[in-house]
Amino acid sequence: MEPERTILRMMNFTTLMLNPTPPPVGMTPRDEVYRKRTARLYRYASSRTHRTPLLFVPNLGISRPYIFDLLPGASFIEYMTREGFDFYLLDWGEFGPEDNDLTVEDCVVRILPRMVHKVLETSGASRLSMLGYCMGGPLSACFIALHPEAPLANFVNMAGPIDFSKTGLFGCWLGPKHFNVDRVVDTLGQMPPEMIMAGFKLLRPTMDVSAGLNLWWNLWNPEYVKGYQALNRWANEYVGMPGEFFRQWVRAFYQENRLLQGTLQLSGRTVRLEAIRCPVFAIGAQEDYIVPPASVRSLMEAVVSQDKTYVELPGGHISLIAGRSAPVHCWPRVSGWLAPRSS
Amino acid sequence: MAEQSGTETLFDLWKKQMDDGIQAWTRMVSQTPDPGQFWRPFMDQSIATWTQMMAKGPVSPDVMAQWKQFLDQWIAAWGKALEQAMGTEAFAQALGRHLDQWLSLQAPVQKGAAAMNDALRAMGVPTQADLTRIARRLSGLDDRLEEIEDRLGTLLSRLGGAPGPARGDAGSGSPGASD
Repeated sequence: MEPERTILRMMNFTTLMLNPTPPPVGMTPRDEVYRKRTARLYRYASSRTHRTPLLFVPNLGISRPYIFDLLPGASFIEYMTREGFDFYLLDWGEFGPEDNDLTVEDCVVRILPRMVHKVLETSGASRLSMLGYCMGGPLSACFIALHPEAPLANFVNMAGPIDFSKTGLFGCWLGPKHFNVDRVVDTLGQMPPEMIMAGFKLLRPTMDVSAGLNLWWNLWNPEYVKGYQALNRWANEYVGMPGEFFRQWVRAFYQENRLLQGTLQLSGRTVRLEAIRCPVFAIGAQEDYIVPPASVRSLMEAVVSQDKTYVELPGGHISLIAGRSAPVHCWPRVSGWLAPRSS
Repeated sequence: MAEQSGTETLFDLWKKQMDDGIQAWTRMVSQTPDPGQFWRPFMDQSIATWTQMMAKGPVSPDVMAQWKQFLDQWIAAWGKALEQAMGTEAFAQALGRHLDQWLSLQAPVQKGAAAMNDALRAMGVPTQADLTRIARRLSGLDDRLEEIEDRLGTLLSRLGGAPGPARGDAGSGSPGASD
């Protein structure tokens, strides 16, 4: 067995070196239904057996959203559309210097309401569900808390930080004593992708060694190699963050933990998580070092929803949304929780 | 039985090397956080363990699997040790200081860019700042158009039938105050 695998490893290694082009990503058919500034709203083809549409709100900046539709057979979006969800993806887009004035406020009180309206308008539904992933979790929570009139059927928070006092290493490094966010933004204008990459690589210095080792071990398997190529491409494409957004994000969320404390002011209004009354499903990942599960779990105590569930799944931040464990541990839980609440 | 004891010896050897490595690394980090020195203990131990493995005889699938398992555990242990070291106040302080120094270096670069912009402007060539300004104006116009669209939508819905706009008040169809 091992000699055959060694030969296959050598062959695949040669192919990888000679043809390093990663496989095409984001293949699930979709239509752009709306755009505002850099943001795009996409609706995916689906049998739409569930009446309530689902709006997926990912992180702003940092990485590209094709991770949610990575490869056919290994795509969260493909999975959800096959399960019959009317799936909408909000792509925040990529930012240039002209977007440096974009704030958290703009996202929550200007862009998200329009996206929600467009989802309802294009789907013809009277209610919708929101699924926030990573930074999209707190952004969605802010939106729902500030817009009690919005017809929210469900809120799913997937690895979205709520209690920023429990955000691990990032919380430590971005603390007010050592991280002068004003100086960073005033000097650089925006948070450049290179700095974001440096932060994430530093967070897990052994990640590249580990990924390389696993690649070598699984190099005999062409499917693994294909997945590695796609994931590796994504993992090395970082997206910058608008300066003012970053300033507000670091100061109000990381340094002052205002979201959980109920002192976050957006557009002159206070964001109170206890205003969230719809059914809530929160998912933390046991080995998530970007958003530790304790930070996600805090949502449970903060909302007044009667129907609320928290699960902690094996794996890390990304393994909720991509990779081999996601379709086994995470996606069926999301679909299984949403389906009976989406009629 | 002999195989079992061989594995145990190897495991003990690996564990001892890992403990030594972590201690060496922790000592080194408390003195000078130099990236070159940072990885040296890790690399030295890799080579030492690999040499031990090779000395034991020809490579079999079992040995390869064990080796992979050892490396996985080793990397995980290093990850844990690094996480602990990087979660300290001293590390955050060092990182903050490094960032400050780097930002200080950006100042002359920006000064140079400003001088270049002035020169381009004097020649009548549009600068990045000019393009950014135009893009912002276009974005502002886009917002205004949407506001007008919203108001038209509201008027139409009052006149009967047509769906209302989305301004700030998601889904309700009536104009909100937040936009």
